[in-house]
Amino acid sequence: MEYRATEITSRYLRSRKIPSTACSGCGLGMNHKIVIQAVKELGLEVPDIVWGTSIGCAGRQTFATWKGDGFAGTHGRVYAIARGLRIALPPEKKIILTVGDGDAFGIGLTHLIHSARSNADMTVIVNDNLGYQSTGGQYGWTTPQGSKTDSSPYGMFEHNLMSEGMDVLKILKGAGATFLARHVAMDGAWAVETVKKGILNTGFSLIHMPYPCPTNFGSRELGSRNQVNIFRWIRDHSAPLGEEKEDTFWATGIWHDASNSRPEFSQFVHETVEKIRRTGTI
Amino acid sequence: MKRFLETGNFAITEGAILAGCRFFAGYPITPATELAEAMSFRLPQEGGVYLQAEDETAAMHMCIGASLGGYKAMTATSGPGFILYADPYGWALGCETPLVVLNSGRVGPVSGITGAPGQGEFYLTRYPTQGGNFEAICLAPNSAQECMAMTVEAFYLSERFRMPVTVLADQLITDGFEDISVPENEEEMKKMGFRTWSRKIHQGPDFYPATDEIDIPPVVLGHNTGALCSDWTPTEEGYDIEEVEAHHKHAYRLIYKVRNHRDLFNHHYDKKFMDDDPDLIVVSYGTPSRVVNTAVSKARDEGLKVGALRLINLWPFPDEFFGAKTKYLAVELNWDGQLVREVQRAVPKDSEVHFLGSCGDLPTIPDLIETFEKVLKDEPLARKGWKLEAW
Repeated sequence: MEYRATEITSRYLRSRKIPSTACSGCGLGMNHKIVIQAVKELGLEVPDIVWGTSIGCAGRQTFATWKGDGFAGTHGRVYAIARGLRIALPPEKKIILTVGDGDAFGIGLTHLIHSARSNADMTVIVNDNLGYQSTGGQYGWTTPQGSKTDSSPYGMFEHNLMSEGMDVLKILKGAGATFLARHVAMDGAWAVETVKKGILNTGFSLIHMPYPCPTNFGSRELGSRNQVNIFRWIRDHSAPLGEEKEDTFWATGIWHDASNSRPEFSQFVHETVEKIRRTGTI
Repeated sequence: MKRFLETGNFAITEGAILAGCRFFAGYPITPATELAEAMSFRLPQEGGVYLQAEDETAAMHMCIGASLGGYKAMTATSGPGFILYADPYGWALGCETPLVVLNSGRVGPVSGITGAPGQGEFYLTRYPTQGGNFEAICLAPNSAQECMAMTVEAFYLSERFRMPVTVLADQLITDGFEDISVPENEEEMKKMGFRTWSRKIHQGPDFYPATDEIDIPPVVLGHNTGALCSDWTPTEEGYDIEEVEAHHKHAYRLIYKVRNHRDLFNHHYDKKFMDDDPDLIVVSYGTPSRVVNTAVSKARDEGLKVGALRLINLWPFPDEFFGAKTKYLAVELNWDGQLVREVQRAVPKDSEVHFLGSCGDLPTIPDLIETFEKVLKDEPLARKGWKLEAW
């Protein structure tokens, strides 16, 4: 199949990696497009951003897609690497991380919380395919309760970070994140506006973006790999904040916007170091 | 030259600063905490950044991030933290990221005794991560002064080989107070044999050459070179790939860039009474080597033809020092015998290799001399009621 590059892909993405090797019908490309569209609308260029990715579907499929400098961390650790990198990079360089739900909310949650705590300038896009799909489809920490997956054949019955009134964004708000939002992949232009705000925050921003996985999650939970089913299912279980219904899993929109309300990690550290160097005290 | 009565941790801090280190991330752990404390005091004075991490895994990953951004970076820990470095250590090896890691050994396994020296990570410094297909570099000082020298040397090697380098000390070396001379300028550094290498920035998007070449600048992000690095098998351009042939090239490089440049390591060792083909060569590194040196001198006074070989470059292991077909005794701070296995591998066929270990304590000079005598007379070894097999 011939692939025709659009203006946006040839400007920002590597032709070698686009289209990606994701499964047919995967919704990750919609999330990816939302982020790249936001970058474009902000007028940012390739040298302005260092792109980091993680392990799993979201990490592997987005690694090296960005035309500029990029890296992929070991599972869950990219938030710690990004903090070290933040210290070394000039403040005007943006760090965008496209990661998965297992990476951010499972193995990497400690590092994520500490990145929020320190308000390190990075925009974390958590592409949530509702579990560990690249390993075949096991439940994760945001998988809706009751879902059937390969490791929850009777339905996922554990308490998790999205069950019974719990929300992972509340944890991150408590930890000090300065921008938090949630969108599903079908939110389109609305999500682009939110991602733009996240990137513009000089501090820790996280946008949680559930997207459809027809191959594993869809086939186990809905009994079909039909893409339309899982797309509908995700859309029907999401609603804008304040308009939630009983069966809403994902309340979408900006959860918390305290952009630029407290000092950014690396700038604060460098200013303090400079003061110590000059005066011997803080 | 400035002189101090200070600890090994102080010496490592000064050595790191002399080598150009301006980033340290660590997690408090006895007996490496004092190094983190010294760094938190000294680095800001030099315009450098000290960060306390949420755990050891994060500490080394933060160093990776800083190194990827162009800083010379270092972290320090003890055994229980070193095992948590396994994850980032592998990343730094695979992505050829220069870093220095200090491990101040205490007696284990697990938390063990926090305040007693141990040498339980001999093989862990050779295999600090999973997966294989790499060589590791490890230096083992035995004094505070040498801690400084080996820290400088570790930064030098890490830049030239594009890889993390471990400095393996132990609790007595990093916590002990000793006379330390700190050079104040480049001329004094040269006089003391310190070698330095400045950070260079890779100008191309290509990630690695499929050769054993060294002195290739590491990947530095943020310069818009289009550089890529990841934990997956890389293509020469840095793309991830699931392909055996690409992995062969990568593995070849990680192994042979070190193996084929061994001339860079050879001059780091210490010999005593080794010129007259001794009947027994006592092999050690780190703290026990100081006791061994004294014991060997005394044994010579008593007419025993004993020599001491102290290793400083532990990895790659200096096989070339083990050419003599004679008796060997490995003295180390563990009871399971780690160094001794490697000595046994390196010696000529049919050489005798013996082992004297201690576990949280140090061998005494009379103990050592008694052991030398027994080995020389082919008598079985035993110590403190524990029957130790001859290896």
